[in-house]
Amino acid sequence: MARLNLLLMLAVVASALYLVHTQYLSRQLYTELDRTQQEARRLELDRDRLQVEKRAQATPLRVEKLAKEQLQMRTTTPAITQYVRPDGSVIPAVVAPPPAPPAGPAPKPTARAQR
Amino acid sequence: MSRRSVRYTTSPLLASKTPVWRSKFIVAGIAFGFVVLAGRAAYVQVFNNSFFQRQGEVRFARTLELPANRGRILDRNGLILASSVVAPSIWAIPEDIERDDPEVRAKLKQVAKLLEMPQKDFDKKLEDEDKTFVWIKRQVDEPIAKQIAALNLKGIYQRKEYKRQYPEGEAAAHVVGFTNVEDNGQEGIELSFNKDLAGKAGSRRVIKDRLGRVVEGVGEQVPPVDGKDIQLSVDSKVQFFAYQKLRDAVTARKAKAGSVVVLDAVTGEVLALANYPSYVPDKRQNLTGEQLRNRALTDTFEPGSTMKPITVAMALEAGRVKPSTLIETGPGRFQIGGFTISDTHNYGTLTVEGVIQKSSNVGALKIAQKMTPHEMWDTYTALGYGQKPQIQFPGAVSGRLRPWKTWKPVEQATMAYGYGLSASLFQMAHSYTAFAHDGAIIPVTILKNSAPPAGVQVFSSANALAVRKMLQMAAGPGGTGTRAQTIGYSVGGKSGTAHKQVGKGYASNKYRAWFTGMAPIEKPRIIVGVMIDEPSDGQYFGGVAAAPVFSEVVQQTLRMMNVPPDLAVKPLVMTQGVDESF
Repeated sequence: MARLNLLLMLAVVASALYLVHTQYLSRQLYTELDRTQQEARRLELDRDRLQVEKRAQATPLRVEKLAKEQLQMRTTTPAITQYVRPDGSVIPAVVAPPPAPPAGPAPKPTARAQR
Repeated sequence: MSRRSVRYTTSPLLASKTPVWRSKFIVAGIAFGFVVLAGRAAYVQVFNNSFFQRQGEVRFARTLELPANRGRILDRNGLILASSVVAPSIWAIPEDIERDDPEVRAKLKQVAKLLEMPQKDFDKKLEDEDKTFVWIKRQVDEPIAKQIAALNLKGIYQRKEYKRQYPEGEAAAHVVGFTNVEDNGQEGIELSFNKDLAGKAGSRRVIKDRLGRVVEGVGEQVPPVDGKDIQLSVDSKVQFFAYQKLRDAVTARKAKAGSVVVLDAVTGEVLALANYPSYVPDKRQNLTGEQLRNRALTDTFEPGSTMKPITVAMALEAGRVKPSTLIETGPGRFQIGGFTISDTHNYGTLTVEGVIQKSSNVGALKIAQKMTPHEMWDTYTALGYGQKPQIQFPGAVSGRLRPWKTWKPVEQATMAYGYGLSASLFQMAHSYTAFAHDGAIIPVTILKNSAPPAGVQVFSSANALAVRKMLQMAAGPGGTGTRAQTIGYSVGGKSGTAHKQVGKGYASNKYRAWFTGMAPIEKPRIIVGVMIDEPSDGQYFGGVAAAPVFSEVVQQTLRMMNVPPDLAVKPLVMTQGVDESF
């Protein structure tokens, strides 16, 4: 009887120590998880910030300025543009605008010809 | 001899036996003490444990707030118009700063420099040594905050805060709006969609150890709900060009202000909405009301001649005139109710088309006289005049359209050419969707919209086409808006020049120049409205001050929408137009 009691007591003590250890481990892991989550959030915010920065570097204002000043580009006009459809075929440049040819008379070429 | 002998070695006191009750009393006393202790222990541990548990918790449990990200505002292509970034705020405990140390003083100078604060202001904030909390600067850029943190100064701390960044700056300022330091929307979309954007902060309870590390979560966690992203129908490139061209025109014409509205004629989406003067949403010091006003929506004016196409369209719809009906406008003057209404020239007899092309006031009022006030009022109302535009935007106004029963004959006449009623530029552009969309007025939206809009038919599609043709003539040779023409695309539109109302009367030298039109005219894709307020370089006619902005905005917008040109492309030479009425 006494021996059994001793055994049981040892078992209880062992189990208690194991519980303490597990608790310790779980807390350590939780701390780790928390830190990682914070890191994830920080990275996410960093990403947001960088995205905005990237966007700020590519605003139309800046693009236009750089294109004009550094690359000597100029704004395109229909006069120097060839229009193509998504399949690659060329849209003829003059008067009748495909794909839907206008129902009415061709839009006023006469009005422009007189200039 | 008798002697009392005293024995010192024994004492009768010691010899007497201790009474039993004494030891029992002591035992009982001690036992009682234990019982009291046990009772107290039971009371503390079992019956009234909540107080101590609470006290314990206060010492190690913390409620952490889980902040929600404010949603972003995106343009129709997903480009960022507004987004939140971390911007730490710098604060200090003045009494903790060791100013006697020369090293610290040097570092403080560095901080002031990094924050771009004048040394005097900086010192002033730290002057009062009794204070335990002072904001030094709120919402500092993160790289600068990092540098300050690296200095490792005692008494200078940071608090994590968020601030909005607006990459498009002043070009989109009036659309996007801005938030205050507490991250609440104050203007524009930031205000009208504040609820959706803001999200909801969550919280969780944790146990922290001695070093402040989180070791355990307790209780339930409320996860934060991030704000939703709002995708607008605005195209940031169109917006930029519209703003740029408007700014150039307002500056060149020495005008007070101006607005541009670009609508998608097919879907009713707002592609751009710009005003000048504008402001940079990130830097709002010294902001004036002039800059803040979203004129396109909040300011109403008498639209002047831009109303004439509507007058004609309703007369066509009622069957009172045909495009070829002749209207006598000679001698260029007309007496009604004691007023004289005049044109700039005597145009003689004009067709209805000609009335629009030459912008004849007399012609327009004669057409209006074929209508009843009730009919006119119905059409104006159907086109959205006198009502708030159905758009989720703060500050949109309804304009003025009086009940038709109170109209005097002269008012009915003046309304025909745009006086006696008022509208915002936005309402004006919106009403033109009826012409662009085959007679149906479509609802406008500032949000990206994939579903085709359900329009309300106001004019028949044949009449809408007829008016479009007139608009094309008005912007063509012999019209008042020739400067609206643009390379490669057919345009149609109506200029307007309205005397500004000052007090009770009209100012003779203050004008508002308008141009509202659409392109390509056969199958309109966009509607552009332009308003220039008080052009003061002498060129105040809508056809001169506002039409060039229209032309450039149409050119850029259609190019960006990949619309192939519908006109033969030749170098553009301005045709000779005529002076217009107003």
